Amino acid sequence: MSLLPHQVEGRAYPRLSSRQVAATLKHRAVMQSESEKPDDLFIDILDREGVVLGGAPLSQIEVDWPIGRQPRKLTLPDGTVFETDDHDAIGQIVGESNSTKLHRLEQFHPRLIAFVLACMVGVWVIYRYGLDILVAFAIWLTPPVLVAQIDKGTMATIDFQMAEASRLDANEQARVEDIFATLLPHIEDVPDGTNFQLLFRDMPGMGPNAFALPGGTVVMTDAFIRDFPDEDVLASVLGHEIGHVVERHGMRQLYRSLTVYILIALMAGDTGPFLEEILLEGNVLLSLSFSRAHERAADEFGVKLADRAGYDPAGLKIFFDEISKKFGEPPRWLSTHPGSKERAADIDGYIEALP
Amino acid sequence: MDSQVKGFEFRGNAKEWFGIWIVNLLLTIITIGIYSAWAKVRTKKYFYNNTYVEGRNFDYHATGKQILIGRLIVIAALVVFNLILAALPVIGLVLLLALLAALPWLLVRAMLFNARMSSFSNVRFNFVGKYGRAFVVFLLAPIGAYLLIAILGGGAAFAAETVGIAVAVILGLIAVVVLFLVFPVIDRMVKAFSINNHKLGVASFEMNVPVGPFVKAAIFASLWVVAVLVIGGVLIGGPLVAMFSDLEAGIEPGPAQMGLIGILYLLFFVAFLPAVFIYQAMIRNVIYNNTTLEGGHSFTSNVSAKSLLWIALSNMVVVICTLGLMLPWAQVRMAKYLADHTGLIPGADMDSFIGEQQEKVSALGDAYSDIEGLDVGLPI
Repeated sequence: MSLLPHQVEGRAYPRLSSRQVAATLKHRAVMQSESEKPDDLFIDILDREGVVLGGAPLSQIEVDWPIGRQPRKLTLPDGTVFETDDHDAIGQIVGESNSTKLHRLEQFHPRLIAFVLACMVGVWVIYRYGLDILVAFAIWLTPPVLVAQIDKGTMATIDFQMAEASRLDANEQARVEDIFATLLPHIEDVPDGTNFQLLFRDMPGMGPNAFALPGGTVVMTDAFIRDFPDEDVLASVLGHEIGHVVERHGMRQLYRSLTVYILIALMAGDTGPFLEEILLEGNVLLSLSFSRAHERAADEFGVKLADRAGYDPAGLKIFFDEISKKFGEPPRWLSTHPGSKERAADIDGYIEALP
Repeated sequence: MDSQVKGFEFRGNAKEWFGIWIVNLLLTIITIGIYSAWAKVRTKKYFYNNTYVEGRNFDYHATGKQILIGRLIVIAALVVFNLILAALPVIGLVLLLALLAALPWLLVRAMLFNARMSSFSNVRFNFVGKYGRAFVVFLLAPIGAYLLIAILGGGAAFAAETVGIAVAVILGLIAVVVLFLVFPVIDRMVKAFSINNHKLGVASFEMNVPVGPFVKAAIFASLWVVAVLVIGGVLIGGPLVAMFSDLEAGIEPGPAQMGLIGILYLLFFVAFLPAVFIYQAMIRNVIYNNTTLEGGHSFTSNVSAKSLLWIALSNMVVVICTLGLMLPWAQVRMAKYLADHTGLIPGADMDSFIGEQQEKVSALGDAYSDIEGLDVGLPI
């Protein structure tokens, strides 16, 4: 106790006032009636004439977190504020706390180089593993009822905006439904609450296309069945869409983009405006690469499923060969899907790997 | 008069701020974003604490816990909102409209929170703006202006086909003039709403800027855009037309054409970016030079568009080249420039500001504006 500085010079403000007066902080041992803590200090704030402006036991005083070289600030229970530039003296009197440890950590020191490296590693770890864990957790929290409702809601929007009832005749629909039904028993690890169903729609704007919704709804356009009536092609493309459902690609992309957006927004104050734009744009490009990875995974799934159900897995390759002949290739890094030629080549690899 | 001007002063330095910034970033990463609430407090506190005028500084009093709670609520609402939008599109649309109507309320709450958590010389700021006025300023006026211009533009197109080209031209010209007037008028409404509703303790701020200077700034900025585009058109207009006719004839563009497209992008950059800074610098100066604080205090500002543009651009280049590590330096540099070109003409003495007992206010609006990237800070 006797090692503490006797007094600290500074400035004081009365409660709710900007009136600044030169002031001195003094301390003494606390009396039993003044505080429940026996080793507490009693702090008095006095002006230059020695008039007491305020006083309280240290345990009842709000001590501000120190930052940089800025004045330390003490707020008494009655609202009187004392501030001082004498960091050493006030530090000894108010003692160590988490906030002073934080303050020390922030001092300019070679240690900061290690912090920079740790930040880089941290960003990489979050990007590589942390996001997947957060997304898996969010998917685990999502009730299956909600996922089924997403299918219904999305179909309602699609029917309203761009789809007409299918014009295929009943026999043709039944044939494709049979293929779908043949595939289903061969799926391993179906997520809880998944309800597989195949819908046909006439969507003139979309050409030969098929897509899957997270709850298990698979939609195929009339143009697809007209252009690719071959059952091996149909089986492997349906298998591809089932792959999106089983591996939860839709939900993962939804949650991932939300999570990344929130993380970048939260750190934005620490990156600055221009950099935030760059990060958000970069995130869009990266999420495209993520989507391309999902397409490849679904290709592999489709090949395997078609093979297990007794179809020729090369059907998927026939499809991509046709597509690349018809439509050419968009720039790969700007696309949600890998190039058709590349996918056809990859499919050879998946077929070779089949048991 | 000039001898009475007391300059603002920013006492922070890049070295010190770097340490705080990198610890903020590291702890935010380690805690997957949770520490960002405390990081925000430390950032604001550092910049407020280091801003001095007349030997007194600003302070920021929010706690990390307050801000974290606000952010968690907003994030939960955001996730639920997105899921509803995906699952129940019709209800989602209704919610979207509800969110739009709630936007002015959230902005008012954000301004209120930020003001009450900020102080100068031990006296807290306050904000007394009301939802009704905010609804007019942030929603009705912009939507109304958009509709007005759309109707005039549509009317011009309609007149061109029916009544005659003369009427169409007149309507078109009116649309252009309205467009020029509308943006400065709405910008003035926003600035007046923000400044006139802020208080330091019980003392009110008052902005005495008519709409004229806002229109003038918009015209100056537009003149810059037009001048650059005209000069650019004279310089590269010929080759550009040649290139487009080549493209239509099916001739593949070569490297020279690619270079031309690059110059075209650069031209737009040179036309619009400085225009933004011209407008902002002129508006900042005129607002500071014509704003008073009860008690006979007034302010001065003499920033120049050229310096602001130079600092912002060179900051961006340095920050990108150092992968963000020089960001603290860039931020301090900008804060120093702004403080050095801002002044206070004190009226009564600085000891006579009086604060009020204030009710606690939640950080909900503040968290929302953080996540949406809206700026609702003190108008300093």
